[in-house]
Amino acid sequence: MSGSDFLYPFIEADERDQAGLLGDLAASAGAKMDQSAALRDETLARLAGEIATLAGEMTARFATGGRLFTFGNGGSATDAALSASLFALAPGGTPLPARSLAEDTAVLTALGNDVGFELVFSRQLIAHATASDMAMGFSTSGNSDNVVRAMAEAHRRGLLTIGLAGYDGGGMAASPDIAHCMVVRSESVHRIQETQSALVHAVWSEVQDRMGTGVPS
Amino acid sequence: MGILERTGTLPDDLADASLALARAFGAGATMWCLAPGLEAHARHLAVEFVHPVIMGKRALPAVAVAGADALALLRVQTRPGDVLVAVAGADEPTVGAAMRRCRAWGIASLWIGAGPRPAPGAADVVLWSDDPRAPYSGGAVLLYHLLWELTHVCFEHAGLLRDHPDAPAAPVSCADEPCITCSDEGRLAEILSVEDDRRAQVRTPAGVEAVDLSLVDDARPGDLVIVHAGSALSVVER
Repeated sequence: MSGSDFLYPFIEADERDQAGLLGDLAASAGAKMDQSAALRDETLARLAGEIATLAGEMTARFATGGRLFTFGNGGSATDAALSASLFALAPGGTPLPARSLAEDTAVLTALGNDVGFELVFSRQLIAHATASDMAMGFSTSGNSDNVVRAMAEAHRRGLLTIGLAGYDGGGMAASPDIAHCMVVRSESVHRIQETQSALVHAVWSEVQDRMGTGVPS
Repeated sequence: MGILERTGTLPDDLADASLALARAFGAGATMWCLAPGLEAHARHLAVEFVHPVIMGKRALPAVAVAGADALALLRVQTRPGDVLVAVAGADEPTVGAAMRRCRAWGIASLWIGAGPRPAPGAADVVLWSDDPRAPYSGGAVLLYHLLWELTHVCFEHAGLLRDHPDAPAAPVSCADEPCITCSDEGRLAEILSVEDDRRAQVRTPAGVEAVDLSLVDDARPGDLVIVHAGSALSVVER
């Protein structure tokens, strides 16, 4: 063993210590689970007031026929879709009208091809949204152009605007168009997304509470 | 260790799953992602592998399969050596049907979910959360994020990605009969088509072959059968 081998014990191509690798992987997984839980708990505690206020405003809008539109890109598009499913379909909850603007490939590719990808969400809001509705945009950087633009369009149209961001919140944290911007203070896209889901779940749970559904929190 | 006490066997299960997945990718596998009812999970899982969040990591072949025809799409598109990863509850019928066919198709299986666990042996590896809210509250996303992160750690250990004395057994090939491995139990196969009441085309990990149907009644396409020495012995599932 050379002097630096202890730093890189597995770098050789003839590596055979499978048990050692599996032990390292399991320890890493356990540590990451703890980090994810700590970030989630810290964020939920820090934003508890914001969550309660937002849930109250959303409950009032749902009660008067308001609908929730969600959107984001990549993994955030799927988190947006999952959030819409949570409000619309989750077992045990009162079903509420919510849908993702990142699902329909005909609409997304038509808008992306014809007017530009930065407008794929805002153009859909122009087609669908009314002043009683809500817009929820996901961007781990806080800087996704099409999300920021959709937030501005939503704000112009009188929608309740909700932003889920990470890092330092980016452009979304500074935007006057976003009424409730919840920033997960992390620099890991994965840990940010995990806590963003927990935040939306907490908002949904409180909305359901206010509607008297009594789902477990 | 406190971490492991709090999280049970999950870190070890993740380690096993990640190494198996890295080995499969190394051997040319495609990862098929299935999440009936919550297709967003299948798409999230697939995009993690296809378009890595960390620049410089390998783009890997992963595909989300969605819709009412998911099982039929998996049947026609998967190849032996591929991997099926499902994100769904233990009672999800399409996932159950797909998981039970993995041995006939010659593909590895990984089942991610929350709530009541699948029966033992339902998948090669099960990654399970005790929190029933996990599908919506970030817990399921955490599991497949960690699967991606640890799989890429494994790629830094090239020596452990090749055939290895301690490596999990690869799907058994029974192409050449007589097969010592199969002689006691027979092989699981899925019926692709029935030519008349006597003959059928079936799929096993070794490929498509013709078998005799004389010993089973009313066998239909999609049935899982036990095949031995050129004959279907019994229907295990229809």
